[in-house]
Amino acid sequence: MWGTEWPRYEVIKQDTPKSPPQMVGSVHATDPEHALLLARHVFVRRPSAYALFVAPAEAFFHVTQEGLKGPWSEGLEEGPEEAYWVFAKRSHRRSMVYGDLVGRFLAKGPASAIREALLHAQGVAFWAVPERLVVGTEPKEEVIESWFAPAKDKTYRLQSYYGLVTAKEVEDAP
Amino acid sequence: MVKLRIGYPEDPDYPERLAEFEARIARGEKIEPGDWMPAEYRRQLIRMISQHAHSEWVGMLPEGAWITRAPSLRRKLILLAKVQDEAGHGQYLYHAAETLGVTREEMVEALLSGRAKYSNIFNYPTLTWADVGIIGWLVDGMAIKNQTMLAQCSYGPYSRAMVRICAEETFHHKQGKEAVLLYARGSRKQRQMVQDALNRWWWPTLMMAGPHDTDSPHTPLLLRWGIKTKTNDQIRQEFLNEHVPELLEAGLTPPDPELRYDEKTGNWVHGPIPWDEFWKVINGEGPMNRHRLLARERAHEEGRWVREAMEAHAKRRLAQAAD
Amino acid sequence: MPLDPYLKEALVAKLTALADDEVVLAQRLSEWVGHAPILEEDIAIANLAQDELGHAKLYLELRQELDGADPDRLVFLRDPLEYQNAILVELPKGDWAFTLVRQYLFDAYENLWLKEAQGSAYEPLAEAASRILKEERFHLRHSALWVERLGLGTEESHRRAQEALELLFPYAKQLFIPLPEEEALAEAGVVPDLRALEAPYLEEVTRHLERSGLKPPQGGYVPKSRKEHTEYLWSLLAEMQSVARWDPEAKAW
Repeated sequence: MWGTEWPRYEVIKQDTPKSPPQMVGSVHATDPEHALLLARHVFVRRPSAYALFVAPAEAFFHVTQEGLKGPWSEGLEEGPEEAYWVFAKRSHRRSMVYGDLVGRFLAKGPASAIREALLHAQGVAFWAVPERLVVGTEPKEEVIESWFAPAKDKTYRLQSYYGLVTAKEVEDAP
Repeated sequence: MVKLRIGYPEDPDYPERLAEFEARIARGEKIEPGDWMPAEYRRQLIRMISQHAHSEWVGMLPEGAWITRAPSLRRKLILLAKVQDEAGHGQYLYHAAETLGVTREEMVEALLSGRAKYSNIFNYPTLTWADVGIIGWLVDGMAIKNQTMLAQCSYGPYSRAMVRICAEETFHHKQGKEAVLLYARGSRKQRQMVQDALNRWWWPTLMMAGPHDTDSPHTPLLLRWGIKTKTNDQIRQEFLNEHVPELLEAGLTPPDPELRYDEKTGNWVHGPIPWDEFWKVINGEGPMNRHRLLARERAHEEGRWVREAMEAHAKRRLAQAAD
Repeated sequence: MPLDPYLKEALVAKLTALADDEVVLAQRLSEWVGHAPILEEDIAIANLAQDELGHAKLYLELRQELDGADPDRLVFLRDPLEYQNAILVELPKGDWAFTLVRQYLFDAYENLWLKEAQGSAYEPLAEAASRILKEERFHLRHSALWVERLGLGTEESHRRAQEALELLFPYAKQLFIPLPEEEALAEAGVVPDLRALEAPYLEEVTRHLERSGLKPPQGGYVPKSRKEHTEYLWSLLAEMQSVARWDPEAKAW
């Protein structure tokens, strides 16, 4: 039914304990556990990460810049109240990440969650996804060391490893 | 999921919408999935991004062949990381294209059936270890010029992929330059090997920037919509001005007897590019075209049972969870 | 801990054998790069190859501290008969099931060995083991996930995984055969007692394999020492060493 293509999961990466989780891209995977492993392989080839989350792309509710102007959620949402993760694209500045997590909001639907978020955060576009669909790494030392820390030893992947290469320097090399 | 909003010239509100769209681009805003966009903007982006993604994916092959032969632990690690980055870059780009409502499967199908293009440069063979160095320094050097420009692109997902790619790609360029400079001052065989690699890759590299502006039909529209911000000839010129002096300083000679420095413009000027060859290769008549596509096709076919197994397993788990 | 000459020599041999496993496995993994069944897994397998190669480098640098041997010369200019890798890692890459079942069998062994080796009386080895273990824990999660999914996926994937297991399982047991001088190292607390790890290993992998619908085979040929190889090793090394051996005058690569 999926053909040769697996479902898409959005990948959310948190660089440090203090920085916000950010939407960095997506992976195709068959299940959340697989998606999380692949997300590590794809998005943490280089430092640094503190936590990684995935959620099915189809579960994201999106309001565009134009949509924000509005009317984008006339109908009253009457789902069961639950927690949503709301992300905002902050500005049009050049960036490699899409949305930052602006918070968790209890709401009866994603649009209500975003409306709630708008009271606290600014942005040019928003997403909401139910927290129950978000799967992430545990914030345990053991996990961080095994999943994320090794990337720091792979210095040859970093351009700084090569310094400013000139013919002269290479000649002097051993 | 994001619903795309695509405008066609026959829509009654098209002129008005188009004006807003172009004003947004002029203000430096990024167009995101779900924002209104002209059908032609979407079409051009799918064409460019998928070509770019295919180039990364096919581009793994010529260098990938040398991972198992790299002559030191360090070079082997570097090359593994580099070819892996190419897969990563392909991955980012396929996802950027997917935001325009085309699936990776459709794009792969277009590649395997020969309908989609990828960068011509990968239709040449890597004959010696020095090719890996030259590809890193020159081919990636040219690619970076293009990618740096595309990081400014008006389409958000493409721009973000490019910002990420540029941040990673500089390492590719530097490791190649380091190797080439080392071999250019190395043993007799190393020196010969690296000059030979330069001879073979020079013209294909210059052709990578694409046809001259006068022969590049898409360029004006792409510039107007902020998909590109520089022309092919501008990119080629930047590449020459950066790399020619460094190659000469390293004691290497680009295989172009007419190559000269123009005092007035401060530009390095190249001799005539063999465009006949370019068009032949692009139309499938290059030395490695068939091999590259066959390799992709084989991996795709041989991977089919694996993908089916994963799917079956996931569906069984979903069904169990539902019980 | 200062090593007496006998132990030092034994440790040099052990570190080389550890590195050889990693180098040869990395070589087989590298053959997949560009050819994996899905793009994301291509990235994953290149990570595995890099990690294994990085571990080889660590072991050889530990050896270099002991006897000054150059890691690159050991890898790229040593003759096939001097390689002391286990046969498990030199077998041709096979299909995706073969590759992932092998990876799982090797990862499970490494995890057990490294956990113990963290307590080595030889401090540099203890440190290296704890560093390597971090990565290996993640590897094991990845390969164990694949074994489960292939074992329980489709009829075809199950058949392929079971066939791979039939061939590979006896070779996994070779991993628990110590080098001739290794006993003394184990007695001195420098390396874990390999033989004592075999039973917990077999128990752990059997549990996971069976949970994945796979049946570890009985019997099969288990190589008796690390001097044994198959005819596949020569060509693997011939390719790997081809550039380095091509120009004896080259001073650096």
